[in-house]
Amino acid sequence: MLELSNIVHRYPGADIPALQGIDLQLQPGQCLGLLGSNGAGKTTLLSLLAGVLPLQQGEIRWDGERSLGLVPQQLAFYAELKVRENLELFADLYRLRGAERTRRLELCIASTALESKLQRRAARLSGGEQRRLNFAIGLLQPARLYLFDEATVGVDAASRQLLLGAVERLTGEGHAVIYTSHYLDEIERVAQRIVLLHEGRVRLDLDSRQLLGDSHGLLLEWQNGEPAGLRELLGKLHLSAETLPGGLRIAALDGPQLLEITRFLAERPELPHLLRFGRPSLEQLYLRLNGGRL
Amino acid sequence: MRLRALVRKEFLLMLRDPHALAVLFIMPTLFLVLMAGAMSNYLQDKPPALRLVLEATPNGSYEQAFRVALQAQLPGSELLAQGDARSARISLPADFSETLLDDERQGLALSFPPQLDKLSRQHLRGAVRIALAQTRLLAFLEDNGDLDASLPLAERLALVQQRTQSQIEERELLASGDLSGRANASQLSVPAWLIFGMFFVALPMAGGFQREQQSGALLRFRALDLSLATLALSKLLPYFAINLVQFALLLSIGVHGLPLLGLQGLSLPGSPAAYALLAISLGLATCGLGLLLAALARSAEQALLLGGGINIILAALGGIMVPKSVMPAAMGQLAEVSPMSWALDAFLTLLVGQGSLADIAPHCFRLLLMAALLGGGGWLLFRRRVQQTQWTND
Repeated sequence: MLELSNIVHRYPGADIPALQGIDLQLQPGQCLGLLGSNGAGKTTLLSLLAGVLPLQQGEIRWDGERSLGLVPQQLAFYAELKVRENLELFADLYRLRGAERTRRLELCIASTALESKLQRRAARLSGGEQRRLNFAIGLLQPARLYLFDEATVGVDAASRQLLLGAVERLTGEGHAVIYTSHYLDEIERVAQRIVLLHEGRVRLDLDSRQLLGDSHGLLLEWQNGEPAGLRELLGKLHLSAETLPGGLRIAALDGPQLLEITRFLAERPELPHLLRFGRPSLEQLYLRLNGGRL
Repeated sequence: MRLRALVRKEFLLMLRDPHALAVLFIMPTLFLVLMAGAMSNYLQDKPPALRLVLEATPNGSYEQAFRVALQAQLPGSELLAQGDARSARISLPADFSETLLDDERQGLALSFPPQLDKLSRQHLRGAVRIALAQTRLLAFLEDNGDLDASLPLAERLALVQQRTQSQIEERELLASGDLSGRANASQLSVPAWLIFGMFFVALPMAGGFQREQQSGALLRFRALDLSLATLALSKLLPYFAINLVQFALLLSIGVHGLPLLGLQGLSLPGSPAAYALLAISLGLATCGLGLLLAALARSAEQALLLGGGINIILAALGGIMVPKSVMPAAMGQLAEVSPMSWALDAFLTLLVGQGSLADIAPHCFRLLLMAALLGGGGWLLFRRRVQQTQWTND
């Protein structure tokens, strides 16, 4: 549905490009969790997708018409207008008419539980309710791709569940979603695919089940690199490993395989300084992959 | 559909912004009424009625003649034999009648209380000089036997007044010259504060744009591919309409409201087309300034300070706060740089100079030129500002 090829973007006066050759593909019904520390290039990538920044190099190809809904981090509505007035305004701007307009308005209001707040001025809503309105305005737009940028900041737990449910419904209906959040448990819940940006490059692009998995994995790290012979052992055990900075990760293994590996490691002169067996959370993985940076 | 929705949004936001409403409607109305009242004595058409004490020998023959002649010069004023310290005082010497035709006569004395304004003093001086000259002429004619002293005083004075009456033909060169000096309080205050209020649309216009950018609404618009023309028009149209409402409302207050407060009402001579042209030119100029300010300011607070500061400077220079007629020549020339001065001159040409549409056309042309220059510059900067809108501030 959407394909990005060799996207490079350099801000005026910057020594290093903010994006250095991004290649991504996004399919209908797919939610892509976009991760990266501050300055990794997330905002630049979203800005290019939204058309807020001009494309300098590379190509953004839409399969069909460009169609984009947006829920920015900022509360992008009019505080002095009532909730309904805000929704009606954006419905007009989205050129919604007739039965489709009524249907979408009702759906968005229900998805964000704003039914009882329609006649209230947006400025008088609580912080969580304002986030829900921001969300509703984004959902109101008929689009094939929705961008959510830190859309749940400051939202209470109940509202968050409501909003994440709305995102899951979008993908269930076949819409594509790019979701960024500092709450990695949210990404773990809604994203089927996780892309980690680091210094303007895609460092990791994996299916979230492949990354996190249902089975238990093994994470190993050494001060001076992995011991010789380990890869041969893994080959004999029919295991594949993903190389990480300072170590490796085996996505899934069983008890006998784990026993073989630990026996091998115990006989080496340098023991791993980290050995973790279990189902990892995205947060653990992210911190490890991103060198501890958030 | 999009433009209509955005225009409606601007009106709703305006109606819910008490500060903007106060600045656009209440402030100019208050200034208009207060300044029309404050200047009503200073800039009035009719000479003010006075309460005067005339100290003179009660039965002196020419003292009586002086009193009657003076009263004729001061219609509506009271000439009292006694009064308090707040009354102006005219003291005739004790030998007024005896020495009236002498070369070395003793002069009369005028005493002004501190609160008596400059115009009343000048008016009183003039009236006393004329009454004294007529009394002396009366005495001279009677002394020479050219006037029968047995006639009643009123008849004799009427004959003197006939001889001293001047036939001076006055011609007004209408629609030209320094009209602010000839305007009355209403003719000066109403257009001045109307213009001042209209220029203040630049503040909510610029402030609203800043808030839109800060809130991220502008980001949504950009992602929607909303055209820049739609966005700019959605700002210009509502505020231009508000300008027209201000124009009509404040003129109505001048015409109908001021008389209810005991102040001189405004009359609107000339063609409605001339007023319409002036309103449109002025509205476009203020909206051009608003667009430029929206593009230049970086926050709502900056728009408020910048816009307020610019307006106050333009008003001080342009004869809004102080009439140009009382400014020194250099300041009067400096006033010509202010668009508020151009608009005020156009108004005075209509109200005082009885001018036509053709007479105000040069002033309106300057306002339209300003609208084109500021609006054009504002448009370019506005486009750049919109294009520079970033995803987030962090």
